[in-house]
Amino acid sequence: MSKLIILCVEDERDVLDALVRDLRPFEGPFSIEATESVDEARRVVAAAQSRHDHVALVLADHILPGITGVQFLIELQRQPHYAATRKVLVTAQAGHMETIRAINEASLNHYIAKPWQVEELQTIVRRQLEGYVVETQKNLLPFMQVLDSQTLLEAMRTRPSPAD
Amino acid sequence: MPHSATGSGRLSWGQWAGLVLGLVGFAFPFVAPVADLSPSGNRMLAIFLLAVALWVAEVVPLHATSVLIILLEVLMISDRGLFSPIAGETAVKYPLLFSALADPVIILFLGGFFLADGATKFRLDRNLARVILKPFGNRPAMILLGLMLITAVFSMFMSNTATTATFMAVVMPVIAQLPKEDRFRTALALSIPIAANIGGIGTPIGTPPNAIALGALSKSLGGTPITFGQWMLGAMPFVLVFLALAYCLLIGLFKPVSERIELNMASTFDRRPKAIIFYVTFGVTVLLWMTENLHGINSNIVGFVPVVVLTCTGVFGVDDIQKLEWHVLWLVAGGIALGTGIAATGMDRWFISLFPWGKMGPFVLVAVLTMTALLMSTFLSNSATCNLIAPIGISLAMSGVVKVSPVEAGVFIAIGTSLAMALPISTPPNAIAFATGQVRVKDMAVVGAIFGVVSWGLFVWLGPWVWQAVGVLPK
Repeated sequence: MSKLIILCVEDERDVLDALVRDLRPFEGPFSIEATESVDEARRVVAAAQSRHDHVALVLADHILPGITGVQFLIELQRQPHYAATRKVLVTAQAGHMETIRAINEASLNHYIAKPWQVEELQTIVRRQLEGYVVETQKNLLPFMQVLDSQTLLEAMRTRPSPAD
Repeated sequence: MPHSATGSGRLSWGQWAGLVLGLVGFAFPFVAPVADLSPSGNRMLAIFLLAVALWVAEVVPLHATSVLIILLEVLMISDRGLFSPIAGETAVKYPLLFSALADPVIILFLGGFFLADGATKFRLDRNLARVILKPFGNRPAMILLGLMLITAVFSMFMSNTATTATFMAVVMPVIAQLPKEDRFRTALALSIPIAANIGGIGTPIGTPPNAIALGALSKSLGGTPITFGQWMLGAMPFVLVFLALAYCLLIGLFKPVSERIELNMASTFDRRPKAIIFYVTFGVTVLLWMTENLHGINSNIVGFVPVVVLTCTGVFGVDDIQKLEWHVLWLVAGGIALGTGIAATGMDRWFISLFPWGKMGPFVLVAVLTMTALLMSTFLSNSATCNLIAPIGISLAMSGVVKVSPVEAGVFIAIGTSLAMALPISTPPNAIAFATGQVRVKDMAVVGAIFGVVSWGLFVWLGPWVWQAVGVLPK
């Protein structure tokens, strides 16, 4: 079975560690990949694609060495394979011009301002992942315990169900 | 019902094994034909063996096996196929095989889908649930009773799986209120799939196995051997007894610790004109189904009424029609076509001659058929199980080797498949309950095994008597 990946891109090591720690509740049906630059993130994305794994969610900082987070998200959005991938900026330094670009060109799904509140981050991530799995996954049962079961059951209720 | 990996492209080991066995089984009657079978009977045996392997291992989706069966039958045993019949043999007319796709029972089921999907679309299920659950108060034991009753009632008209998804969503917030160590959480989570599986028994449209048995029976006997109302009269006493049994098991095994549970279900009835048209259509259709003896229009024909009313009034648009579970109709059709082929080629008579059935009394035979259905559907899809054994059971009864009515064989096999709920893979509703993390496999196995054995015993013991009393079985 192909894996679903939550990709984090953040150049400050302790911020990245904190992010990964706060995303731990989603581990299991999702695997978390921590990267410190866009180059590293690209390698993770390419490796995932060759294993037929899917990137469900990207949480990216904006100011990164070399290429910016916004530029990376736009790059992903332009590939049909990653159109469904949920894209979130986690940053304190994206000016409003860059943020507008991210919304218009990367279909940014959410903007989280640093420093984040753990609960707020988890709520946003949960909602984004729910949207992603309902849109792309045929079998929603593996996600019942880490995402909101009500949302998933509602989606199952309105889809054609398997034969008894 | 194992979730097949088909679609993602790669076959599992089990699926590979199924494919290989299926192809070997398919080739067998060509390589070493059975002497007692006609050439067309041998070809039908090939199709049957392939169907068994494909349905058991779910090499391709269940409905895909069904359509494959229909095509293979048309090509291999029909009058327009690849093989010309030998002297003295009459091949099946090919339109008869295709007609399985629009069998009157399929039309009945289609009507049921319109009602079920409309209920979901207009949230009739959720809204009625709130109204009906109110009088059950706040005591955990009463809430459990209310939830099981309402789940069973909806499952009589909606698919067991959709009903489970609906009511599991009602139950999850209740479970969240209870402390982690309160085992009543397990009772609540298990109650929904169990009640949904039981409710499916209640009407001909409750679950596909019922339709498969009815379709096979009307093909073998002609006409409509059981009316909608008769089925309900025969099945409802058991639905109630089985619910009581399951309730006692759940309350006994998982005693509630908490004294009060809040049930907050915010909802308002949809009052748009389209919703009103739907409510009325739903009510009238169900009423017509239950009063066949007054107006004489059979339930299959009544089933087409909601299809016509809801499309003419625009309540169901093209997108709603596309969302219907067409694949379930195909799955049922495959079973009907399989039965037609088996009977038309004489494969059934050969198969029956293999075992000394006559040595079994009628009671033992029905008990064995029902248990076979129960055991097989513990591991396989209920519908696939019924597709495979209903035609054989009905042929066996038709052959007169044992004094069992074909109707009894068909009905008991269909209901037997619905009694299987011991494992997460037994039915999709069980899989949903298991996925919530509130139920351990052990809990499900204990409740499901006790329920299966006791309900089987009760049904084979009292069933014939009840179904005679409602006039379905000969005295």
